This record gives sequence, structure tokens and C-alpha cells, in this order.
Amino acid sequence: MLTFRERLLATLRAAEPVLSVAGVLVVGSEVPNLLEPGAAATLVVSQDVDLAIPVDLHEQVKARLAQIVGLEPSPDEPSVWVPRTDRPDLIELNFLGLDPSIVDPMDSYERPDDRLPLMVFGPLSLLSAGRSVVIDGLHIPTPRPGGLAVEKLITDRSGEKGDRDLLVVAGLLAYMNDDEVRHAITLVQSLPPELRHAVRSNLTILSLLGPRPSMPDPRVVRGAIARLLAQLADP
Amino acid sequence: MTHAQRIREIRARGRIRRWEYRQRNLAHGAWLRFRTALAYAELAFRVSPALYAELVASGGRIDERGAGLEPPRHMVWVTPAHVAELEPANQLTLHLDGNMLAAEYLALVPFGEGAALRR
Repeated sequence: MLTFRERLLATLRAAEPVLSVAGVLVVGSEVPNLLEPGAAATLVVSQDVDLAIPVDLHEQVKARLAQIVGLEPSPDEPSVWVPRTDRPDLIELNFLGLDPSIVDPMDSYERPDDRLPLMVFGPLSLLSAGRSVVIDGLHIPTPRPGGLAVEKLITDRSGEKGDRDLLVVAGLLAYMNDDEVRHAITLVQSLPPELRHAVRSNLTILSLLGPRPSMPDPRVVRGAIARLLAQLADP
Repeated sequence: MTHAQRIREIRARGRIRRWEYRQRNLAHGAWLRFRTALAYAELAFRVSPALYAELVASGGRIDERGAGLEPPRHMVWVTPAHVAELEPANQLTLHLDGNMLAAEYLALVPFGEGAALRR
């Protein structure tokens, strides 16, 4: 029986031709899983992995899609590549667009394409390259945790999924040194007032969430949240 | 869900977010103000109206961010000198649960000053 970690890493290895395009990042809720020591992947997330494709690299990425083995575009949604029936060792791969010229979720748009259409999400532009996680020779480019935390804090979600996404922020706070916290603050200060407000609001919700099994415990980062809130307070 | 449906959903949530932002200083914003106060607290205690008055009289700082709820929540930030007066049994978990919402008078301990009470 394969573990989730094995399937995650097998999928990223299958996507290596695309991951090796400089500028492509692994994003989303799998990042805290990958940042755990040895990419232990112990957090409960959905069985997929997101890749952010900068829109100016779209053609370059498309040229490498044929090199991906074991996954194929979903007939329902061609930006999602699903495991072929003979590859239960893989999970879904989502291709998302990153456009540095937008940041507001409201400005998200569809980039149509016959081969690889992309949903371009505004908040993804807050992501910049962080460290590469190297597992068994596979280089996995991840974003800076500070940017990913802010991206999660301004992306509107609701219900249980929303709470879990906020718990991912709790996981990221655990990996944020002073530099990353400053990076996050700089990003938040660059946002329009309405999005800064959304960040503060979501931080207060996170601060008062209870723990859930196999998810980062928000209670241990309450102090970090209070310090962050104090630095993000409107003058 | 198609991309077009996804975009419609994102824009609908964005419109709600803008509405919430416009409400930030109005009644609806009371919840954010209350949550913000609690987020700054390392510890929270349910206190009696009499103890609340005593804490205020002896220098505790009143926090108005619970005033917009009905019934209003009366909150006071305690100083290190006050913490000994707080009953451990009345300590509340810092979640928005039934116990927290039932407490009309709250004493809050800011981060860094609750060390003496950590159990």
C-alpha cells in the first residue's frame, strides 16, 4: 500500500519536466507538507498538487507537457491532469496561472488554450520563489512561506475548507523566520485596504480556531498571530 | 465546475468581501472587533461584574471592542499585578465557543504577561 507521501513525490517526479522550467512553483496546501522535515507530508489535504505557471512561461510549459508520463488531461477540466488508470501511484496535478499584473481575487480570469487552459488567480502573484526542497535528487521549487501565507489569507474560502486552509497558514507560520515575517508584512502593506482587512480578519479567525487531527495546531502560533496583527494594524 | 463558474463564484465572494469591508465600522463589524481583541489575548477569564469593576478601578484598561455585541461584552485588560485575582476555574479557552459567548464580563491577559498563570 503506497503512502500519500510516496504518491505525492511520484507525481512531482512525473511533473519534473515542467517543474524544471525556472519560475514554475509548487503551491497550495501541499507546500507545508513538503516543508516538513524529509517532506513527511503528514497533514490532511486533498489528493492533488498545484503548480503555479507564470503566464509568460505558458508556451514553454506547454512544450514540455508531452514529457509528463502517467498523467493526462481530465476530459472535464483540461487544466487538471489526472492519473492514467494504470497509475494508482499518482495523484491529480492542477495547473494554475500566475499573472504578476493582478493581485485581487476579483481580477482572476480564464486563459483559454486548446492544450492547457489556465485559471489565473490574482493572489498567486504574491508568490515568489523560495527554497527548493530536494528529495532523492528531485528538486521541488516552493514559494517563500511568507508570500504563501498572505496568498492563503486573502483567498476567499468558506466552511470546513476555509478553516483547513487557514490551518495551513498556521503550518506556514511555524516555518517563517523574522525575514519571512517581514516579507509577509511588506506584501500585506502593499495590498489595497479591503484586502488588508481580509488578512486581519482571517488572522483573527485562525487565532480562535480549535485544533483538528493531523493539521497544524493554531494554539501554538497564537502569539505569532498577535504580533503579526499588531504590525498590520491600520495607523 | 467550469472556469467560468469558478470566476463567477470568486467574484460573488469578492462582492461579499467588499460589503464586509464597508461594514467594518458598523454593527456587522462588531464580530471582527471582538475577535481582534481576543486574538491579542494570551488568556481570557470570565469574571463577575463586581470583579470587573474592581479590575477597572485598580488600573485595568477597558477594551470597547465587545461593546457592539448584544448583550455587550465588557472587557478589561489586566496588569500583571491583577492576575492573581483571577480564578483558574474561570479561565476560558480562546475559541468562539458557547462558554466564550456566554461570558459578558471578561478579563484578558495580553501575550507576555500570562506566564504566571500558564498551567
